[in-house]
Amino acid sequence: MTQAEIKLCSLLLQEHFGEIVDKVGTYLLRTGSQPLRLISNDTGTPVDQVKKALCVLIQHNLVSYQLNKRGFVEYEAHHDRVLRILRYPRYIYNAKTLYGDTGELIVEELLLNGKMSMSTAVKKVADRLTETMEDGKAMDYGEVSSTFVRLVDTHFIYRCPAPLESPEGVAAPAPVAPLLSTNEKDMYTVPKLSMIGKGKRRRSSEDDDDTSEQQTKRQKKEADSKEALPDDGIYWQVNTERFHQHFRDQAIIGAIANKMDQVSSEIVRTMLRMSEVTTSSNASHTQPLSSNEIFRSLPAGYNISKQVLDQYLALLADDPLEFVGRSGDSGGGMFVINLHKALATLSSATLESVVQERFGSRCARIFRLILRKRHLEQKQVEDFAMVPAKEAKDMLYQLLSENLVFLQEIPKTPDHAPSRTFYLYAVNTLSSSRLLLQRCYKTVANLIERRLFETKENKRLLEKSQRIEAIIASMQATGAEETQLQEIEEMITAPERQQLEALKHNVNRIDASENQVDETIFILESYIESTSAKH
Amino acid sequence: MADVKVKLEAADVAEIENRIIELCQQLPRGITDQVIQNELPHLEPQHRAMAINRLLSTGQLDLLKSSTGLLYRIKDAQSAGKIKGSDNQEKLVYQIIEDAGNKGIWSRDIRYKSNLPLTEINKILKNLESKKLIKAVKSVAASKKKVYMLYNLQPDRSVTGGAWYSDQDFESEFVEVLNQQCFKFLQTKAEAARDSKQSPMIQRNSSFASSHEVWKFICELGISKVELSMDDIETILNTLIYDGKVEMTIIAAKEGTVGSVDGQMKLYRAVNPIIHPTGIMRTPCGLCPVFDDCHEGGEISPSNCTYMTEWLEF
Repeated sequence: MTQAEIKLCSLLLQEHFGEIVDKVGTYLLRTGSQPLRLISNDTGTPVDQVKKALCVLIQHNLVSYQLNKRGFVEYEAHHDRVLRILRYPRYIYNAKTLYGDTGELIVEELLLNGKMSMSTAVKKVADRLTETMEDGKAMDYGEVSSTFVRLVDTHFIYRCPAPLESPEGVAAPAPVAPLLSTNEKDMYTVPKLSMIGKGKRRRSSEDDDDTSEQQTKRQKKEADSKEALPDDGIYWQVNTERFHQHFRDQAIIGAIANKMDQVSSEIVRTMLRMSEVTTSSNASHTQPLSSNEIFRSLPAGYNISKQVLDQYLALLADDPLEFVGRSGDSGGGMFVINLHKALATLSSATLESVVQERFGSRCARIFRLILRKRHLEQKQVEDFAMVPAKEAKDMLYQLLSENLVFLQEIPKTPDHAPSRTFYLYAVNTLSSSRLLLQRCYKTVANLIERRLFETKENKRLLEKSQRIEAIIASMQATGAEETQLQEIEEMITAPERQQLEALKHNVNRIDASENQVDETIFILESYIESTSAKH
Repeated sequence: MADVKVKLEAADVAEIENRIIELCQQLPRGITDQVIQNELPHLEPQHRAMAINRLLSTGQLDLLKSSTGLLYRIKDAQSAGKIKGSDNQEKLVYQIIEDAGNKGIWSRDIRYKSNLPLTEINKILKNLESKKLIKAVKSVAASKKKVYMLYNLQPDRSVTGGAWYSDQDFESEFVEVLNQQCFKFLQTKAEAARDSKQSPMIQRNSSFASSHEVWKFICELGISKVELSMDDIETILNTLIYDGKVEMTIIAAKEGTVGSVDGQMKLYRAVNPIIHPTGIMRTPCGLCPVFDDCHEGGEISPSNCTYMTEWLEF
């Protein structure tokens, strides 16, 4: 893990969970797994605060614990999970596009709370939806829970590992650290298998009973406090892997749409959707699909004849992009999507785009040239790229100093004399991607810093406007006159208003950029992950 | 014995030389010692050697080494005539330059090969240049390096740089214009194909253009003052490939089809990039020149970053 990653993690923790959690989390990220006492000592935080912070982190799956051989519990933070906080807006947005407002709110609630039982989630979402609706209308629990079930069905949500209720648990020897006894027991009894499957169906049926019992939300709230929830102990969380798979598919579809046309991208979308369930998220290829199957699964709105589909498939398989490959002839031709290749192509396109924007299109030409030809001498680069020798030299050295290309020496004689050595330029996409990824992390950290700075600068103003808004709201509730309201509104002067507008604009812009950078991060991370999985 | 030798020299030397030259003229590919021996059986080896040495030193014969042994060949009268009146050193330098062909040779290399002092060589080169026997050509590879070659030779592409150079200067603007024109041509073709609303296969196939078509288009445009070959255009099209704007396929073509080379035809078509500028490049940090020096609390930090301020005001 790098300094940039730790810095970004720390900022994210600080922003979402506050100072103490940040301190504990960052300490764990820096030092690896540590027992509670040491965390408390080294961070100079009281034990009960550390415990609370750890609770928060564990609730959000950012920290895991395990029993050391010596009999004490160690906590370990996972930086990859912390970095996913950055992607929360994207998860939520995707849930919205796929499952509407209800889906959006369910995913949002689950992300905000880390883990939740289905009944509380459904209740909360229904409450929130009801609030936004007109008076007299209310969101039906059944509707919300059916969306919930659909999210589970499509693997976007899965059940958290729950403690195993075994008789041995009771007889287990007292843990070394009594304070952690419950945790320790949980830790040993976490069954990994109970993610979806049977439990899910049972839950939905129970919940249906649940909703029919209690009609309105007012009643329900009272009921909440009285009786224990029916699905107590069964918690759900967002399956980020599944979302990532979806993002990856979208990136592939987008690339096809850019390069070729809408229809081709729609065919690829269909293929990816068909193989969603059959292909594991880290496979390098999808399962082969026959052209007949694809034809049957095409969305109804697309009036493509089988003949045209075959032509499109042939074109896709023929394209130098090689996203789609032909794997056999049975069933009218079998086609696979080469996921690894697609990610590699997207990642090198990202690198090319970076070179293009940073060093200009001539430099990008040289970069692509080396990427295509693998190893080239300086003279060859000049000749192929048709760039004047002097400029080409400059550009190559610039790329070299930024570590985007590297220099391979091949000596003709064992003495490595420069005059008798070939100097070949080459690109290593994997290491360049890693490098760029670090740059992305630092960029996001910088953006967050800047955003915090902007809000801090205008803190007084923000507080004032909030106060005034509160006053106006309360006065409206009591039915104040129009003139009175206006008077209060005028307490914020015109320049102040302008400043507030500018601040809002700035913050929005920085926020949008954070999400954009995260898209780059996602592509690079997926590529690095899929490459390291391959070897 | 000595008497005989002197007599022989005086009377017959010219005759022997003439005989040898005649022999050489009969066999323009060269003759060996054996041939001379057969033709002039009465000649003593000593005299033969003497005669040949004389011919070699006057530049009428060339000595070559072949698999069968030494080979004598007559020098063509033209080159012999050209360097008439020059001394041995000049001849030597001339020969070295002649051997270098149309690639030319650098004066320092002449020095290594001839073992003459540099000042001497410079004098000889000046001499030869004034006689219009050789010429100096500036190489594009190194602007200060002059190479010498025979006066009547057309310099090699590696020396002049081909169509892309005028006086050792790379015409990057010319290349850029050609690059744009080729792309425009391919793009128009691709757009026309897209708008034709035909089946996808035909659409794609009609978006391809062979290098010959592009060549014809560029020639008809008349933007180039120099004659461009198909290879030149293909070099330009290759730069478009490295720009990521064009892709190429090779198809088999019948021999004799217009634009086919060795039964192959290179087809090019314009393509769209697969991604838009990536997210990080839309932030100031992506382009920041002082990115590595930027730390919160430091001299350069995100809070006081002027690039960010400008970007936010934009």
